[in-house]
Amino acid sequence: MSDKLADCTCCCCENCKEFDEISNIIDLYKGKEGSLIQVLHSAQNIYGHLPLEVQEFIAEKMDLPLSEVSSVISFYSFFSTVPRGLHTIRVCMGTACYVRGGKNLVERLKELLDIEIGGTTQDGKFTFEIARCIGACGLAPAIMIDDVVYKQVTENKLESILSKY
Amino acid sequence: MNEIKINNLSDLQKVKKIYNDNAKRYKMQIAVCGGAGCVSSNCAEVLQAFKEELAAYNLGEQIQVIETGCMGLCAVGPVAIVSPERIFYTKLDAEAAKEIVAKHIVGGNPVIDYTYYDETLNKHIPCVDDISFFKEQVKIALRNCGIIEHASIDAYISRDGYKAALDCLTSKSSQDVIDEVKKSGLKGRGGAGFPTGIKFQSGYNAKGKDKYLVCNADEGDPGAFMDRSILEGDPHTVIEGMLIAGYAIGAKKGYVYIRAEYPIAVERLGNAISNAYKYGLLGEGIFGSEFSFDLELRIGAGAFVCGEETALMQSIEGKRGEPQQKPPFPFQKGLFGKPTIIDNVETLANVPAIMLKGSAWHAQYGTETSKGTKVFALAGDVVNTGIIEVPIGTTIGDILFKIGGGMRNKKKFKAVQIGGPSGGCITQENLNTPADYESLAKLGAIMGSGGFIAMTEDTCMVDTARFFMDFIKDESCGKCLPCRIGTKRMLEILERITSGCGQEGDLELLEELSITIKDTAMCGLGQTAPNPVLSTLANFRKEYEEHIKQGYCRAGVCGDLFISPCENACPANINVPGYLSLIAAGRFVDAYNLIRQENPFPAICGRICTRPCELKCRRSTVDEAVAICDLKRFVADYAFKNEKTSKSDIVFPKNGKSVAIIGAGASGLTCAYYLARIGYTVDVYESHSIAGGVLAFGIPEYRLPKKVLEHEIELIKDAGVNILLNKEVGKDIDFKTLRMSYDSIYIATGTQYPIKVNIPGEDLQGVYHGINFLKDTNFEKPVALGKTVAVIGGGNTAIDSARTAVRLGAEKVIILYRRTIDAMPAYITEIDEALEEGIEIMELVAPVRFVDGSAGKLSKIECVKMQLGDFDKSGRRRSIEVPGSNFFLDVDNVIIAISQYSDLPFISKDEIALTSWGTFVVEDQTLATTMEGVFAGGDVARGPDTVIRAIADGKAAAVSIDKYLGGKGKLNKGAAISIPDTFDEDEVVSLKRFPQELLSPEERKDNFDEVVIGYHKLNAMAEAMRCLHCDRR
Repeated sequence: MSDKLADCTCCCCENCKEFDEISNIIDLYKGKEGSLIQVLHSAQNIYGHLPLEVQEFIAEKMDLPLSEVSSVISFYSFFSTVPRGLHTIRVCMGTACYVRGGKNLVERLKELLDIEIGGTTQDGKFTFEIARCIGACGLAPAIMIDDVVYKQVTENKLESILSKY
Repeated sequence: MNEIKINNLSDLQKVKKIYNDNAKRYKMQIAVCGGAGCVSSNCAEVLQAFKEELAAYNLGEQIQVIETGCMGLCAVGPVAIVSPERIFYTKLDAEAAKEIVAKHIVGGNPVIDYTYYDETLNKHIPCVDDISFFKEQVKIALRNCGIIEHASIDAYISRDGYKAALDCLTSKSSQDVIDEVKKSGLKGRGGAGFPTGIKFQSGYNAKGKDKYLVCNADEGDPGAFMDRSILEGDPHTVIEGMLIAGYAIGAKKGYVYIRAEYPIAVERLGNAISNAYKYGLLGEGIFGSEFSFDLELRIGAGAFVCGEETALMQSIEGKRGEPQQKPPFPFQKGLFGKPTIIDNVETLANVPAIMLKGSAWHAQYGTETSKGTKVFALAGDVVNTGIIEVPIGTTIGDILFKIGGGMRNKKKFKAVQIGGPSGGCITQENLNTPADYESLAKLGAIMGSGGFIAMTEDTCMVDTARFFMDFIKDESCGKCLPCRIGTKRMLEILERITSGCGQEGDLELLEELSITIKDTAMCGLGQTAPNPVLSTLANFRKEYEEHIKQGYCRAGVCGDLFISPCENACPANINVPGYLSLIAAGRFVDAYNLIRQENPFPAICGRICTRPCELKCRRSTVDEAVAICDLKRFVADYAFKNEKTSKSDIVFPKNGKSVAIIGAGASGLTCAYYLARIGYTVDVYESHSIAGGVLAFGIPEYRLPKKVLEHEIELIKDAGVNILLNKEVGKDIDFKTLRMSYDSIYIATGTQYPIKVNIPGEDLQGVYHGINFLKDTNFEKPVALGKTVAVIGGGNTAIDSARTAVRLGAEKVIILYRRTIDAMPAYITEIDEALEEGIEIMELVAPVRFVDGSAGKLSKIECVKMQLGDFDKSGRRRSIEVPGSNFFLDVDNVIIAISQYSDLPFISKDEIALTSWGTFVVEDQTLATTMEGVFAGGDVARGPDTVIRAIADGKAAAVSIDKYLGGKGKLNKGAAISIPDTFDEDEVVSLKRFPQELLSPEERKDNFDEVVIGYHKLNAMAEAMRCLHCDRR
């Protein structure tokens, strides 16, 4: 199956464009030893997540065993094999944020979004995760939605923050 | 920047000159902080506003606006510094920026309201150089952070950037560089503290053409944000550091491994690297030398273990980040099998400064064994959260209190976690410890990467240990069994303990597992994983035991162990959310009865309790704590007025056993009450002519009317308690006789005797002691007071004495306290009401002697000014005299109210164990003394403490005595009261307390009428509805 994808030049497969982009990235990193993780970051940014098809594609293109690609993905928490929401909410549970009320934020978000930690909302809008420490300890408790960090968040502020998305 | 290459010193100096010349043409500069904290607080908007407003005034060419790296005080961001005056503006937004342009830049007057406000000094401090947070710091790694534009390589060069690298590459050998670094004493700042010079040496000595230099920017410790501040604020210092280090070891290629959670750092460092290449500072033949160096960024992917050097190298190689066996060590066989030297960001950031200014300059800072400075990240419950850099050896207390500004919300400091999940906690006894590698190791902590998480009394140390173990268990790579399984097992035990299922033997098992894991885990993550548990066990074992044996979490965090934080904090465990629900539903008498199940003195406590519940009230995180105490008073007064609707207590039939209680104070009467209700015959022996103890004569009428006390004592007598007044044990009746006549005895005689201040003149006429003064006033014995009265002390007795003196006609009353007002133990509203009544409080003053005017009568007090010194064992700053600051105060009287002690004339020290300060030695949970069948509680067992604690002791003693005499220890609390289940689901809106009525200061100064009138019914119900019902699950 991966052969077909690698050689696909028609526009009838759903994710042609993404696979092409991934292919370009892999070419960029050719010659740079040990760049699998950097490639996987870019691939996930392009494709949204890293399902088996993408893993096979990357393994093929980079001449690596599929098991190696798979094992790297399963090791690192940033990589996901299942689709993720449009936006990722990460509640910081680093010590400082924890000491300042991070746990309550988690409980409230579970209620508001009706999902567990690691889950994605029904409408595909939000994926909810715990971040370890995001290094914004001066602003505890902090949450991140995508790249934006919200500081000194209280349970009340949560609803207005979420409504922005 | 120009696109020319920098090949020599002259090229470098040209760039510097052009930059500085350009800078000179500006009249003023506005530096806006662009550290990660301020970015999240929207500093971009502030920057934009400055630029737009300046353009509107046509000042764009004359005023320079730049974005710098982290200035350090994240708690008050966004911040900016306006030069040349160096005015430090905080908490900025677009509006404030515009106002500053108009008033300060154009108008010439700094806007003081927007400048930094020091909470401990209670004033604005506009100039950054005067602020103690900054004054105490020495910045080396952070020397450019917050000063230069983080995005400008020219700015870096203007401060002699890359000069050190040039010097090393063109006129020093690799060995020269290594020797200089060795002499400087620089040690690894990532946590291990290994001497950097020696590390470089081993890299240099390693054989082979291909060597690598790696910068570990995988700052994963929760609570650490030092490295990111350096990378985002001064990326070139890291690049230059790597250039020099690479040269020292002979590496041609460097990697910076940054964690994926730092996109800003990745971006800024990436730009910096590309600019460095453009100037020829990276790449082939740098500075025309033969040295070539390539630098590449590698991003992590969310694995804490990749901060460990062997795991990090695996990750750079694109593999699973699993640690590898050492030996071989990285300098032998590292990245791609080649010799590799790995250094932390902060270590490398120090290198250019050391090479520029010399090792001797660096070695002037720090201690004998640890030279230089350290960047610390202050986080948690400290006021000034942010980044600091201080000489190694600065004490922990100074870091937390002098620089950190102390604990937020005036909470009590409990511990500081240093070194992240690999570290340990430092407690208040060790605040004078210098923060250096050796001293911290001696205390079972580690310096670590520099994270300092401050914790107050609101943090549960068992829960904290569980939290760290949870983190480590998740981050364990799984490769070795001790870590993979061991951390999970330890977590399971900790989770059981924090959920109320702790068992005998759990602590021993935790210790055993810890030692085994430390010995057998493969890498640093596993080997240090047990540290937080071991450290909290060593310093807070009692908390663990409380969780397991008593199911009690003193910090009010482990939700499974209590109904709500307030109920948990109450020594008598009153069902606070329960009675608030009843009040909100209009069922006031039911609320009163619910309280009385746990506390027979609601009207008293509602007036004078110290309210530990309100300190834990979660409503205070929204606006203000719920008025739990005042509402208790409301229902008690309501029930008093509507006596018909309050039931009388159910009492069990007599069981034939009898108990004697010595002392009819709060503790004794509570014990009597509960014992009587389960059928005991109880006789209470009271030496005075009235019952109540301190409640009767130690608390003034305007705070606690006698009528109220008498009523509550009547209800206790109604339950069958027999009070024998004017019977002093040891005089009117023998203690031995009591022991023979009763089955058990409870001693609750309190702390009746005032502690003397022991200075000359204490026995002069006109000198009183607080508790005696109050006693005499309450018993209406005449007390002659002159016009000016001084009161010495800071507790409730001192305030009570002062306010009583006002009512007795003193014209001027001054309280002298040896510390500051915010350190006074007295309850805050008491202090406020005292100030309203015109009482003066003199801080930082202590008496030296009382001066005899004539014929043995007091006329003056000689006083000395005090200042706060270093910390004592309880974590408070010692109050020490300022030499030569003596002065005199003319006074007619002085009332000394500094504390009380107990005396037990009826029992000899040979018969029963006493502590060195005269209180009974009692068994923690049973309150049993060392004498068979004799129990003790309240102040006589604890030293001066609160009324609610005494009441709780009385109740606990009743349980113990019942068990001792063959009962089950189950108290009779009457019929259960149904509590309504209605909760307000609406969004919480910020709303301060509903007020109760007070007499105005004029109305109350010359009489003893009760000052607090109380709640109107509607306000009481509304106030009760502010409760967030933390009891709901």
